[in-house]
Amino acid sequence: MNSYRWDELSEGLSHEFEAQLTQSMLKEFLELSGDQNPLHTDGEFARKAGFRDIVVYGMLTSALYSTLVGVYLPGRYCLLQGIDVDFVNPAFLGDHVRIAGSISYLNQAYRRAEVKASIHNGDGQMISRAKIRVGVHEH
Amino acid sequence: MPNILSQLEPIFRDILDNSRLNLTRESDASNVAGWDSLAHINLISAIEQHFGISFTLGELQGLKNVGEMIELMELKLAI
Repeated sequence: MNSYRWDELSEGLSHEFEAQLTQSMLKEFLELSGDQNPLHTDGEFARKAGFRDIVVYGMLTSALYSTLVGVYLPGRYCLLQGIDVDFVNPAFLGDHVRIAGSISYLNQAYRRAEVKASIHNGDGQMISRAKIRVGVHEH
Repeated sequence: MPNILSQLEPIFRDILDNSRLNLTRESDASNVAGWDSLAHINLISAIEQHFGISFTLGELQGLKNVGEMIELMELKLAI
């Protein structure tokens, strides 16, 4: 886990990591969210809707943005204050995804950073993009 | 260059998600719905990026309303 302090952050500082979207993640997300929409549970339903397979929850993949800021950028002292996400393409079970973010702006008065982030699948296709607003606590 | 107030209004409308907001020099957090502490940080961040300026915490703490912010911005923008 990274432990950037406010004074160590700079615009352009970036980090990335990879993850795989697994069946167990889908199952656990269903349990914790209660989102039973068949697009995420029923392959036949998903295919009739025009997708090649079960679609992974957008909010599940977005949980990886929490990891991006909470573990990597800035890491240990992160306070997640807000996030805007656009879901550009569907993610599917088994996808290997790459989560990347870069500090695009630092507000010195309120010590808040904005991180431009994105998730791409193994084919290089963008799954989602986000603007994440984070503070850095002093503890 | 459009005046500062007319440039601030769309920023406030976007951040506060209120397309009908009429921003005046007398507008402040007590008379504009949704202008809470987090929205305030979002507003300042958007203003800094739009105008290419930065504020110190001390400058911001002394501001009473949008009119005073505009006066401060005029100094920073040297207009």
